[in-house]
Formats: sequence, C-alpha cells, structure tokens
Amino acid sequence: MKAALIGAGQIAKQHLSCLRTLPGVELAAICDLSPAAAEAAAERYGIQSWFTDHRAMLEKARPDVVHVTTPPTSHFGLALDSLAAGAHVIVEKPAAPTFEELEKLVRRAHAADRHFIEDYNYLFNRAPQEILRRVESGEFGAVTHVEVLICLDILGPGGFADPNSPHPALALAGGAIGDFLPHLASLAHLFVGAHRTAQAVWTKRKASVLPFDEFRAVLDAERGTAALGFSSNSQPDAFWLRVYGERMQATANLFEQRLTFDGPRDVPKPLRPFFSSLEEGKTIRRAALATLLGKFKGPGAYEGLWELLARTYLALADGSSLPVSANQVLAINRMIDALKPKEQRR
Amino acid sequence: MRALVTGANGFLGRHVVAALLARGVEVRAMVRPAAGLEALGWPSSVEVFRADLRTSRELGRAFEGVDVLLHLAAVISGGEDAQFAGTVVGTERLLEAMATSACRRLVLCSSFTVYDYSSIGRVLDEDSPLYQAPDIYARDGYTIAKWWQERVTRRFAERYSWDLTVLRPGNVWGRDHGYLAILSQQFGRHHLVVGPTTRIAITHVENCADVFALAATDARARGQTLNVIDGPGERIWTYLSDYMHGSGQPGWRLPVPYWLALQVVRLGFATVFRRATKVPGILIPGKFESRFRPLRFENRRLRETLEWTPPLDYQQCLVRTYGPAGDRNRALGRQLPSPV
Repeated sequence: MKAALIGAGQIAKQHLSCLRTLPGVELAAICDLSPAAAEAAAERYGIQSWFTDHRAMLEKARPDVVHVTTPPTSHFGLALDSLAAGAHVIVEKPAAPTFEELEKLVRRAHAADRHFIEDYNYLFNRAPQEILRRVESGEFGAVTHVEVLICLDILGPGGFADPNSPHPALALAGGAIGDFLPHLASLAHLFVGAHRTAQAVWTKRKASVLPFDEFRAVLDAERGTAALGFSSNSQPDAFWLRVYGERMQATANLFEQRLTFDGPRDVPKPLRPFFSSLEEGKTIRRAALATLLGKFKGPGAYEGLWELLARTYLALADGSSLPVSANQVLAINRMIDALKPKEQRR
Repeated sequence: MRALVTGANGFLGRHVVAALLARGVEVRAMVRPAAGLEALGWPSSVEVFRADLRTSRELGRAFEGVDVLLHLAAVISGGEDAQFAGTVVGTERLLEAMATSACRRLVLCSSFTVYDYSSIGRVLDEDSPLYQAPDIYARDGYTIAKWWQERVTRRFAERYSWDLTVLRPGNVWGRDHGYLAILSQQFGRHHLVVGPTTRIAITHVENCADVFALAATDARARGQTLNVIDGPGERIWTYLSDYMHGSGQPGWRLPVPYWLALQVVRLGFATVFRRATKVPGILIPGKFESRFRPLRFENRRLRETLEWTPPLDYQQCLVRTYGPAGDRNRALGRQLPSPV
C-alpha cells in the first residue's frame, strides 16, 4: 500500500514514525511548501520522493492513502484533491473548519468509494480502549456520564499565542481551543453517543492573542451525559478522562499511563474505601513507572495514533471495517459544531 | 554601504549592529514584530524593519538598497519543529526574497555544531568533516536546524552566484551568557565537570561581532568558510571558575576525566539505552562526544584570511562580562552586578 503525506511538520513525524513500522506500507512521497522541510523528512524517513506541489505529488506518486498533516485551514482543499486523485484520506483533526465542508468531504469520499478518516487518536490510547473493553464485557455497567478535561498551557509565546506570527489555528471557531474540540467530542461520543443538546461556555481569563482561553460544556447524549472542558490556565498539563458506569468508575490521564478503576469489592462496606485507595495507590505507582519508561521509548501520548493507523491500514488491506466510520465522523463533527461559540459558528 | 542584519536584537545581533556602525556601515535591523528594542539604545540611524521570517509577506522590501545581508536569525528554543520552521524555512523565505533583489553578498552565521565531532581526529578546523544525512537526524533540533540552514544557504548562493561567507562561531559568551552547556552537567547549583583540563572553543560576543562586521566589509572574506574563535580557548576548569566567581553563583564542582565519563556513557548505552528512542543527549555516546570531546581548535584561517586578531583579550572579556575584578569579588555569593 503506497502512503503519501501532505505537510511535513510536527504531527507528520508521528505519522511517519508509525508508518515505517507497519508491514506492507510503502512511504511513497511527501509534500511541503518548504523544499527543505519536504527533503529533510524524505531523507530522515526514507521516503522515495518529495514535492512542493501536492497536485504534482498526487499525479506522479499515485498514492493509495494520503495523510493530510498541514495546518487545519488547508485540510479541506487538500483532502478534496486527494480524494479526486483516487486515494483514501486520513486527515489530522480538525478535518475541516466548518461542518458544511466536513460533510462535503464525507459525501465526496462516499461517492468516490474511498475512505475518509479524521484522526481521533486519543480514542485508541490504552486507557479509553480498556474502559471500553470493560463496558462491552458488562463488568463496568452502562455508562451514565463522561467527563473530559484538558489542562494545557497554550498561552506561552512559542505556540498558539505567538505574538510575532499568528498561529493558523486562531482562524478556527473558538481559536486555539477549536483545535482540541475533536479530542473532547470524540471521547464523549465514544462513551455516550451522539449528542441531543449542548450548552457551552467560552471565556477568557488572561490577555493574549487567543479569543478564548477557557471552555466548558455540558451535553445530553443518546446513552448518557457528558461534561467537556479545556483550561489554558490550570496547571500542570493533564488530559483527564473520567467515565461513570452503573457498576464502576474509571479515571485516566491520557498524557500519562495512569488509569484507575473503582468498583464493587468483596469486603464489608465501611472498609471498601480503604481497600479501594490501597489498590488505586498500587495502580498509580505502576503507571508512574510505565510513564517514565515511555519517555525513553515509543510513541508516548501518541500511542493512540499508532494504533489507529495500524488498524486503518490493516482494514484497508483486508477490506474489513475501519476503526473510524463515516457516520462517527459526522456525529462527532455535529457535536463540535454545537459546541462552537455562537458568534463564530458558521 | 548598507547592511541588512537579521536577528539584529539577539545576543550576537545587537553587537554586530554596533560593530557595523563602528565601521561606518548603514544598518537596517530586522527584528520580529513584537520585539522590544528600547533597552538596546540603538541610534536613530539604525533603520528598524519588523518582520517574521516564517510568515511575513514583505521580506522583499527589506532588501531595497541593501549591499550585504548578515543572516543571524535562528530559533534557539522550543521543539525540533519550531527550530526547523524558524531557522530553516525562515532562511528559505528570506533568501527567496533576496533572489528578487539586487543584493548579491551574504554573510551567514552558522555554527560549530555542524561539525561531526565523533569523526574528527585531534584538531577541529574548517576542513573537519561535517555531519552527513541521515546521521544528522539523530542529533538535537538545534544542530539539525543549523546544519540545514547552512545547506539551504549554500544551495541558494550557488544557484544565484552570490558571494557567500559562512562564519561558524564556537561558543559565544558575554554578559548574561557566561554559562555554556559544554562546561559541565549541572545538578541544581552543582557541576559535574567532564574533562576539566580540556580547552573550549569560545569567542566573546564582541570579538565575534567584530569578525562579522569585518567579513561584511572585506572583499577577502568572499567565498570563505571561517571558524570564529578567539584563540586556542581557556581550560574548562578556569573558565568555569571565572564564571562562578564572576556571576556570584556558588556551588560544588566534581571533576571527572573525559575517558572515564565516556566509558560510563558507552556502557550505559550498550546495556540499557540502545533500544530506547528518546534518551537525554548526555546519555548517547555521539551527543556526549559532540558536547565534551577534547579537541584542539584552530582559527588560523580566520587570522590569515582577514588578518584578524581579537580586539579584546580574555581578561578584558571577563571585565565586559562580569564587571571589574573588584566587583566580581564582591559579587561572590550575591547576584550578578548591574551593567557598567
């Protein structure tokens, strides 16, 4: 299977690091507006050819799969051209700045009998997958509520809040936080399904070039409720996922390996908190070691991206169903659309 | 003569601006849009051009009436991709703009970091081997970015037949930049000093700036690649003592012979870290060598080509960096003295 990438920046390296470990995947081409960035990536990852014009790349390399890893505002046109060239498309999140454009991409992919996948990498991290496994086995009980809160300092001068050069994500609804909505919405959708109603609060605590630096939302969904949030001001950086079931509760930090469960226990009721806390301590100590080792080797917090790509290529090769479906992409993006700040919603 | 200086408000850039002015060169100083310039005290004759090399669309205008470009801008913080985008993609955009102008002369600030220390015999000079692809990608983000910046610049110079001078400074030091990563591995205030008698490749920022101004104005620099160091360099132990004394930073120093430290790192790498993909640089033999390997450093080509001698000797540089010796003694255990 011939893979090609458009965009040779930071996230492209994560895709490439994974792709070169996948059997049967040929790194055919990479494209970037910067010749140096494209050539450097080609040299580093042993990619056969590099381009600065994506149309020339699509025509010459004829890839089976195109990964669109450019800034979000350019995704739509590049994904459309890739589909037109007959390739399956894996697009970094957010796949398109507006729901209308997203819907158009999904329709176009369907009409061309190609797959269109938005990268919901955190769905495939170990923790959400383990929680999902316990839900599906019945051990967890039905999920009633999910909380997802990302605490990330995006106000520093080097990234989203660069005072010298406007970050492309600032053009999204919600500004830089808009770049994280697919993570929040995809996790909510995984555990409680498509939303019915949504209430969002967008605020700003500190002076910066960002339109908002705090976000909270409450959703009523098919199978339960969800509370989503993003905080630029709360430290330390963390990605909290809490899932509440009828028999168990789970807590995970997706930036680390921490995942704890609390549930029924075969001890007298007054002693349950004692034994639960002991076990939680033991689990957290083990997770601390795993997190430390993850600093030396492997994809770290991008483990989900590696899993998603591995499953995707496997499914494309044997024709089985993909890890991310078109209906899922539509439902998640409908949810994102409902969460966008009203004055910026298009 | 008019010079365009990128990175003009940086640690080296501000001294290069001063050195050019001292030689009677008109200066157009390129700085980022949000840069604060008040503290620099530039005279009104310095023309400020605000632009960001990564995104500004007006870079062509910066070259109007310019005879020589001194390209010093580089990103030295942030992740590998931020450094590549700022340093390499920024250079591509700048030189594309230069190609549309009448300017044909260019002085690039490269770095000692482009040399492959593990392949060098005893003496590091301009003929020493550089990193090659794909080995370069095992290095840190700064090294990758500076290596690519020089590569991109040489390609442009060749394509457009520009007169290029590549200057590769060693470790640049000066006020507020007394500490250098090659001195030691720091643990809080304390230092593990690898190879304490090794001489280090250093150039004081004012001496270094003098070379840039000279290279921009002297025809003999055209087509040359020159290492910029003040001389054979001080020994690590001496320099570190002067730094701790001068900056009033107390702490312990534990000396370790280079060969012993390298064997420990090699052993650790062979047994524990070889399979690891993300290891601190000091634990990787190649990176350890590029940081601490004892070599002899030569600036003969610089001396012979441009007949350059450093305007300031080491003692004068100490005074410029830490204040007069009396102040330095008083500063022991206290904060850095305020600028003289």
